[in-house]
Formats: sequence, structure tokens, C-alpha cells
Amino acid sequence: MRYPILSAAFLLVLGGSAHAAVNVVATLPDLAAIAKEVGGNKVAVTSLSLPTQDPHFVDAKPSLVLKLNKADLLIAGGLELELGWLPVLQTSARNERILSSGRGFLDCSRFVHVLEVPTGPVDRSMGDIHPGGNPHYLYDPRAAAECAKGIADKLAEIDPGNAKAYQAGVRSFVDRLATARAGWEKRLASARGKPVITYHRSWNYLLDWLGLVEIANLEPKPGIPPSPRHVAEVLRLGQAKGAKVILQESFYPDKTGRLVAKKLGGTVVTLPGGADVASGEGYIEHMDHLVDALEQALR
Amino acid sequence: MVPRLALVSLTLLVSRVALAQPAQPAPTPSPSPSPSPSPSPSADSEDLSDIENALAEDAAAAEKSRPAPPPGGLGAAVQSMNPDISFIADFAAAWFSEDENLQTGEHDPHENGFNFQQLELALGKAVDPYFRLDGNIVFHPEGVEIEELYATTLSLPYNLQARVGQFLTRFGRQNPTHPHQWDFVDQPLMLGKVFGGEGNFALGGELSYLTPLPWYVELIGSVTDARGEGTNRSFFGDAADARVDSPLDFQDTVAAKQFFELSHDWSLLWGLSWATGPNPDGRTHLFGTDVYLKYRPITTGSYTIVALQAEAIYRRRGLADGHLDDVTGYAQLFWRFAQRWAAAARYEYGSPAENQDGVRVDPLDPDWTRNRHRAAADLTFWPSEFSRLRAQLSVDAPRWLPDPIVAGFLALEVSIGVHGAHKF
Repeated sequence: MRYPILSAAFLLVLGGSAHAAVNVVATLPDLAAIAKEVGGNKVAVTSLSLPTQDPHFVDAKPSLVLKLNKADLLIAGGLELELGWLPVLQTSARNERILSSGRGFLDCSRFVHVLEVPTGPVDRSMGDIHPGGNPHYLYDPRAAAECAKGIADKLAEIDPGNAKAYQAGVRSFVDRLATARAGWEKRLASARGKPVITYHRSWNYLLDWLGLVEIANLEPKPGIPPSPRHVAEVLRLGQAKGAKVILQESFYPDKTGRLVAKKLGGTVVTLPGGADVASGEGYIEHMDHLVDALEQALR
Repeated sequence: MVPRLALVSLTLLVSRVALAQPAQPAPTPSPSPSPSPSPSPSADSEDLSDIENALAEDAAAAEKSRPAPPPGGLGAAVQSMNPDISFIADFAAAWFSEDENLQTGEHDPHENGFNFQQLELALGKAVDPYFRLDGNIVFHPEGVEIEELYATTLSLPYNLQARVGQFLTRFGRQNPTHPHQWDFVDQPLMLGKVFGGEGNFALGGELSYLTPLPWYVELIGSVTDARGEGTNRSFFGDAADARVDSPLDFQDTVAAKQFFELSHDWSLLWGLSWATGPNPDGRTHLFGTDVYLKYRPITTGSYTIVALQAEAIYRRRGLADGHLDDVTGYAQLFWRFAQRWAAAARYEYGSPAENQDGVRVDPLDPDWTRNRHRAAADLTFWPSEFSRLRAQLSVDAPRWLPDPIVAGFLALEVSIGVHGAHKF
């Protein structure tokens, strides 16, 4: 072969068009994991962000443009979580299907009961708040089940030939998730009502589901790093309410959390922001790890 | 004024929606016959009970099948029909060691004391399924100007995309960007010297193509007016007798951008650019290259960013009796070392323009007869992602002047509204 690079490129181009699986791109790893559960071998799923990456601040890398250029379906978390990076990727991708008006775009926030929807006027003196409500709903398995159903319906719409497979996939996933959820709820039943401190307001859906009580955030306002005065106030509150657990994602700095936990005689639970889909971790396995960590800390 | 009006409308709409939507479940008719009002003589109590039961079932079914309310209620949906609008303001306090400083950027701090650099109004939204419209309107002490206003296609086939209107050409890395995307308070010498105080922008059209290669390769071609403020350092500019008589009287720009994802944490963007167009005495050719190497460890959840950015342009201006050549460029290193803090350093170089005989006679910069070097360092603090404070110190050494020009800036940038995301 005299021109190996050109030939390889040509084959890749041809290969791309001949591939039968629906090309699904999700903005968040948990959405990718759920789409994989629903679509099985009928879909090829990619996540634009990593579980170790803050989903508010993803670089709009041209390599992500390439992924969207070839996507049949783009699944987003919505509620302006991806506002800082997704729109420019959608416009640059030259793929009409995955524009927000396109048939291949799905905003999963429309399937969930959104928490913390502002009831009055908002502005950024309140921090980097989301006017549509809190976007971190994927930590609640009940919301994940609703998203899975929405994804199955959308997959059936764009790939009607495999509609039965998607319905079977979602039924299986929702059943397994329901069983797992019952187990998780049982394991954490004794923790109901316990006070916790969180770094960012990312865990409110999880707390709502498990009946835990958030008494303070280490961030004084969403998106604003902790200040000494605020941390002192959090510490005072934590002592008054007997909080022993600080909950945060692994992409936030944990020095402050560790200090507060030490002074409260508690622990910091640091968790990735989603399933590690690249290494094959599913949503249920990810939540399993999350519940393990919580159970241990809240014991 | 506009945001306040929008807010008032939004509040009114939300309250109307709240009235229109049953936030609480509608009162369910009681299955037992109500004593009042009295049933009509034609309907006995059994019928009434059946009707009430049926109504209750219908109400329950309707409640069940009701789609989930859109996030944020109808107010958010109505609001989303408006363009995304943001204002970005740049202010600086400046000090220069010499009476005459040689800042080349239109919005650079220019004099000792307080400087209002600019207020940028950015807006954008989808027009219809086929176009979106983006604009950057700049307000500054000398007036208002439309720096960019262009429509971008959304649904061209074959991986093509077109822009039509007035835009910053995609020559190099920094030219198509705005001050709030820059790591320094002032514009690189290169852009001021080769293009002008506000970079290279003009009316015209652009077509870009995303190749189907396995790595990112984008090819861009544009044809723009060679006249006007955004072309007056290399092309027709404001020349009084400049007119379009043939296709050769436009500025043509061609660029190739390649991106290599070396790993999740390392990215490399490499661009090649070429532009050609008429100047008042002949034809100008510009050859540029730009490199952007970024380290951002997203696999370990760190705030660290280290980015190296470098650009250079070789320019040949054709004259009636020969040509003038010069080279300018810069290299800068940006390091975000904490969530809210970053430091950056930049080195810049500009050669004098030489003609075919090695004589340094540039009608645009008659004093620029020797090399010019400038170095700058700055420190940035972000109170939030919507504001930043910067302190910058630079030493400019034009070799034709006896002393270097030392400059110090303290700058504040604040933004409000919804601002679109930027390209990598």
C-alpha cells in the first residue's frame, strides 16, 4: 500500500457511514451510561465530559465538534448546565440533527421533577444560579429512570426498526434500577433526617431522595469558592446540628472540606460526578459505589 | 432598561402562568351528592353521582397524562425567544513611563490615569432553522461601532458552513476573538501592526468545511471588503480612491485549523493562514501560523491550566516599484495555578519593514526602522466567572527610541447577561 494514511482515512470515512448502530453522544457520563443501558448493542455511546470533570466548565474542544458532527442523537442534561460550552459545539458541528431544534436532540430535564426552580426574580448577585432550576438531578435514581424512559422513546423515534429492543432495554434497566433502589433505600433508611454539608448545591436531588438534610454549602453562593468567614459559619452550624459528613464531587478542591470534617469529627465523601463509562461502569454500579460511600460515612 | 423590562414582563408572565396552571390539584368533586346547589329536576342523585365520578376520573386521567411542565415554566420559554444579550465592560488604570506610548490596540489603555477601554454588547440567537445571527457592538469614548454582525448557516450539506455579514476574519488565533477572551489587557503588537487597532474585520462572506478525516481539520475561505478600518494596515483601508472594480479588489483569506487531542489532558491546535488583497500601491500577501498547546488535567479534577500560545505573520506589501517585507509575532504562556488565580507572560517581536534593497522605509510606520521587542507579565484574579481583575506590567523596547517604555495596568472586566460560549 503506497499511501497507507490516505487509505486508512478513506476506510474510516466509509466505515463511519456503513456503521449501523445509532451514534449517541451525551453531554454527561451518567446520561451516556443510561443511554447505553437502554440502547444496548443498537447504539454507540460517547460522553462529551468525564466524571472527573466539572460539567459547568468543559472546554469546547474541536475533538468534541467531530463527535457531534457524526452524532444521530445528542442527549443533554439541560437547565443551562452546559450553557458555557454546548451551544458553540452544536453550531460548529454542522449537523442539523443535533441542534436544539433538531430531531436528534434530547434535553432530559424535561422528564424530571426539577427542584429549586426560582420563584422570584434572580440575578448573579445570588451566585451562578440556574434560572430553570437545579440541574444535578442524575444523583436521584428516580430521575434516572424517567430519563431512561425518555431516551428509549427518542431512540425508538429516530430508529423505529429497533423500537422493541429499546423498550425491552428500558424495561430491564428500570426494573433493575427499582430493585437496586429498594436496596439502597433500605441500607440508608437509618440515615433519614441526618444533617450533611455539601460543597456545591449538586446533591439536592440525592438528599431529597434519601431524606438527608443539607444544612450548609461550603460555597457561600453557587460558583463562589469558600471564604474563611463563610467556612467559620458552616463550622458553627455543623457543630450546632451535629453534622458529620461533607459531601462533594472529586473535581472540587477538598482541603476546606477535610478541615471542616476534621473539626466536626466527621468525614469527607468525595465522589466522581458520574459513571466511569469509558471503563464500562454502568449507572447502577456507579450509584452502588455512591451508596457504599454514603453508608460508611453516615454510619 | 431592557433587562428590567424583560424582568417585569417575565414576572407578569410567570404570575399569569401560575394563575393559569393548577399548581394544586383541582378540587376533586365529591362522590357523594352535594346538598347544594340542588340537582335539577331531570337528574336524580344517582345520575349526578355517576357524572361526578366520571368527571373525577377524567380529571385524574388528565392530570396523569399532563406533560411535565417545561423547566422554569412558560416564562423561561418565552424569554428564550429573545436574543442572548450580554454587556462586557473593560476599565483600566494605566501608567506609562514615557509621554508617548506606542500601544497599537484601539481598546488598549492609552494614557496615564483611568481608561474606559470599551463596552461590548454581544448578542446572538437562531434566526430560523437555517441561520443564526451574532453581533458585537462596541461602545467606547469615541463612539459606537459594529465590530461584528453576521449570519451563520445552520443546515448546509456536506459539512459546510457559511457566514455572511461583517466579521473578524479567521486569520490566526487571536484575530477572531474579543478582548474578554484575551489573557492580557492589551492587544498583541502583531495585530495592531499588520491589521490595525481592532484587528482584521470587514464585510463579506466566508465558507468553511469540516473535513471527514479522523482528526479535526477545518478549512476556511473568506472574501471580504479590502476597504475600511479593519484593513487599513495591509490592504486598501481608508484610501480615498479605493473601489471595487474586479474580484481582485477584495481581501481573500484562507485558513486551515487542525486539532490534535494528545490525551484527555493535553490538546494541540495548529493553524495556517494566508491572506491576499490590494493595497493602495500594489498587492499584499500575509502568511501566518499559530499554535495553541493546552494542558488541563481533567482526569484528575484539578483547576490547573497551562497554555502556550504563539503566532507569527510574515507580510509582503507590493509597491509600485518593489515590495516591503516584515515579520511580527508573539508567544505567551498562561498558567492558572488556583481556582481564582492565573499568571501569564508574553514576549513580542516586530521587525522593521524592508524593501527589496534592504532599505527600511515604511510609510505606515516611518519611525519603525529597527527591531521592536515587548515583554509583559500579568496576574489575574477572578472573583467569579463573570468578573476579573488584572495587574499587568510591560516593557516595550522599540530600538529606535532611546529608552524603553514601561507600562503598568490595573484592569477590571465585568460582564452581565447571557454570553455565548467560545470556540476552543
